[in-house]
Amino acid sequence: MAATPPEKILKELAELWVTTSKEGGGEAAQGVLRACSMTLIVMTEDRDDPADLGETIAALMPEHPARTIVVRLTGGGDRSLGQRVFAQCWMPFGQRRQICCEQVEITCADASLGDVPSVVLPLEVPDLPVILWCRSPRLLAMAEFSALAGMARRVLVDSGALPDAPAVVRRLADEAARGMLLGDLAWTRLSRWRQSLAQIFEDPHNTGCLAGSARITVCDAGAITTRALYMAAWMAAALEAAGVSPAVRIRTSAQPTFAELECGSFHVRLERQDGHLTAIVNGLSQWTLMPKPDDYLLLREELGIVNHDPVFEKTLASAARFSYSTGE
Amino acid sequence: MPAENPFQDPLRFERRIPPCAVVIFGANGDLTKRKLLPALYRLAYDRRLSPGFAIVGTSRTPLTDDQFRDKMKEAVTSFSEDTQLDEDVWKTFAEGLHYVAGDLGDVGLFQRIGEKLAHLDEAHQTGGNVLFYLSTQPSQYALAAQGIGAAGLQHGAGWRRLVVEKPFGHDLASARELSDHLHEVFTESDVYRIDHYLGKETVQNILAFRFGNGIFEPLWNRRYINHVEITAAESIGVEGRGAYYQEAGALADMIQNHLLQVMATIAMEPSASFQATSVRDERSKLLRSMKPMTPDEIRQNAVAGQYGPARIGGEDVPGFRQEPGVSANSNTDTYAAVTLFVENWRWAGVPFYVRTGKRMPKRVTEIAIHFNNAPLAIFDGETGDGTPNLLIVRIQPEEGISLKFLSKRPGAGMKLRPVSMDFNYGSSFGERSPSAYETLLLDALLGDATLYTRQDMVEASWAVVEPIQNAWHADGFDFPNYAAGTWGPAAADAMLARRGHEWRKP
Repeated sequence: MAATPPEKILKELAELWVTTSKEGGGEAAQGVLRACSMTLIVMTEDRDDPADLGETIAALMPEHPARTIVVRLTGGGDRSLGQRVFAQCWMPFGQRRQICCEQVEITCADASLGDVPSVVLPLEVPDLPVILWCRSPRLLAMAEFSALAGMARRVLVDSGALPDAPAVVRRLADEAARGMLLGDLAWTRLSRWRQSLAQIFEDPHNTGCLAGSARITVCDAGAITTRALYMAAWMAAALEAAGVSPAVRIRTSAQPTFAELECGSFHVRLERQDGHLTAIVNGLSQWTLMPKPDDYLLLREELGIVNHDPVFEKTLASAARFSYSTGE
Repeated sequence: MPAENPFQDPLRFERRIPPCAVVIFGANGDLTKRKLLPALYRLAYDRRLSPGFAIVGTSRTPLTDDQFRDKMKEAVTSFSEDTQLDEDVWKTFAEGLHYVAGDLGDVGLFQRIGEKLAHLDEAHQTGGNVLFYLSTQPSQYALAAQGIGAAGLQHGAGWRRLVVEKPFGHDLASARELSDHLHEVFTESDVYRIDHYLGKETVQNILAFRFGNGIFEPLWNRRYINHVEITAAESIGVEGRGAYYQEAGALADMIQNHLLQVMATIAMEPSASFQATSVRDERSKLLRSMKPMTPDEIRQNAVAGQYGPARIGGEDVPGFRQEPGVSANSNTDTYAAVTLFVENWRWAGVPFYVRTGKRMPKRVTEIAIHFNNAPLAIFDGETGDGTPNLLIVRIQPEEGISLKFLSKRPGAGMKLRPVSMDFNYGSSFGERSPSAYETLLLDALLGDATLYTRQDMVEASWAVVEPIQNAWHADGFDFPNYAAGTWGPAAADAMLARRGHEWRKP
């Protein structure tokens, strides 16, 4: 195994600032400002496009400045670890001082995955939150995942990339029950849907229609997804908390993805088609543009949360219960 | 039936404005064009407005809806500082723009506004929610409120609120009279007196800084703080507002409202919660703890100034009396500096130096908190300039917080020099900060009055400021007494020198 002592990386990081300060110290410049509000560990696969990921991280840094540690899994069997250190810098509009964040890239063969925590732990910035973003679906199934997740305060996964949604939801709910603070990009993708539904009930007249029992239907194209489970579970949990008894149906069809709520004579349907989200309230419809959110938008939202996310945690627990009764 | 929206997720969802209409009186005026419309458009751009949101503009100028839309489009294009006009967003936004022309003294105007609101309620489903915004001349506030009341527009199916711009009177009596007029129509809880300084991110951040951190509050008192400076300097003159400014002056235009509110935010006691009533109670209590001065005290602790002509950067700059619309022998204060004391256990004996002026060397608003010196100077003779610790809260232009302290210079010997630890708002948060008007309009539409001024605060401020105004007028002025482009009259420096202090040069 090629040795990658963390002291060497820390020394390179220190040297990086000396070099960057010199480079940023031109005549009109005012030096370089180091910005850091968290450690972001990104677990990714070698085949994951480095340019795409690099752009996402660079875009995130102005809002969530971080020491980013990208761990790239190369597969294979030889025990090898490699690393490089560099800075992500930007010049805020109208200012003369560059702001820079540190980035460390570690390449790692599968066989060396067990060595990663001993390298990464000393690199975490003290006293600031540590977020692990697991982009590798393969890693979730590996035994080393727990040790890697244990380095972070919060773990972000994307269950949308995984097969067998009911089983995935149960697994995530188990991890959450054991104390792991989780975020799921499949849940983040629902924010616009959820916000549209919440907006409808900002009108007290509509909220007043919620009484007695209600029927929730969530439909996804193809197979049952974690997204559908989350949406149904969230709606049901919110209604239960408001004293309404919901009956839930999750199904698949060739129709566009939709979520529907019926409560007495009140009827709401949210439907996504051709990049639009249509909200239909008692027959009156209104649509808004809803382009597919990219990783930057999803992470931007998730990195704003460094502690518990009570609504998601409740939804996840509820979705795990639904996962046993899906498949209609 | 649930009392609240069960689908809310405050961690992720931004607060959205419920369906409603905003009626702007003075819709053809400068404030509407420069501030209100750009702020409302930005809220639309950020998808914070509900689909049924509508605006009814009203002023004396006859305009059709389309002409009003064109004017407002021009205003948004010209005055939005960091938002480009998006044609799609504008198209939807403009559909909600309407106009009713008329004179505030004409009963028919309010009937027409009522009819328009009823129509909008049906067409846009505004739920009967209406925010009335008085963006007119202050002398017309009472008239507008009376018109709303006579037409019964203060009542409806939804909420009805009234936003009033400063000045809230020109002295204590007129402030009370204005409140009485407003209260004939609206209850105090529905009156939102706007002070745009309180909507600035950095002013709100003072609360986060003081009450979100545990390390500063123990130092925040007379034992550790020596004195506090609050500066609001403008490099420009009256910029065509000479006629208005001549009637107001720096003391009434800035200190009575903005700077006393900033001071209240810096010095108030921690509130029990972040509820509007709680925060406003503490701010009000602080303002009421300020000691109104006697005429003799005022001579020692308040300085008025007016700028004279000067040459700045190779250009001749007129004095205030030479500005268009200003009388040649005007005695209006374009500069005011006041030493204030708060009579409570936390602040007894700590001077708060508050100054504001026009045509100063630069545009800057900041609060400088001067801490006491270290009790024992063990580095005698080697201490650099011996500057005590200084905490600076910069409100504009570069919002942020700096802490100045002494540090050892590298090398042999124990030579100290002051260094600065900086937090820069713009660098630390890449997100765009909303303008003060966006924040405050959003709050008013959501019914959150935390950042708005209350009647008792206005009265408490006037109780402090009015005796100064009276004493100045009784004593007369010797204006101009400072040259444009300088930091104000020498008497203001002498005021601090009497206590062994001097103004910072920000």
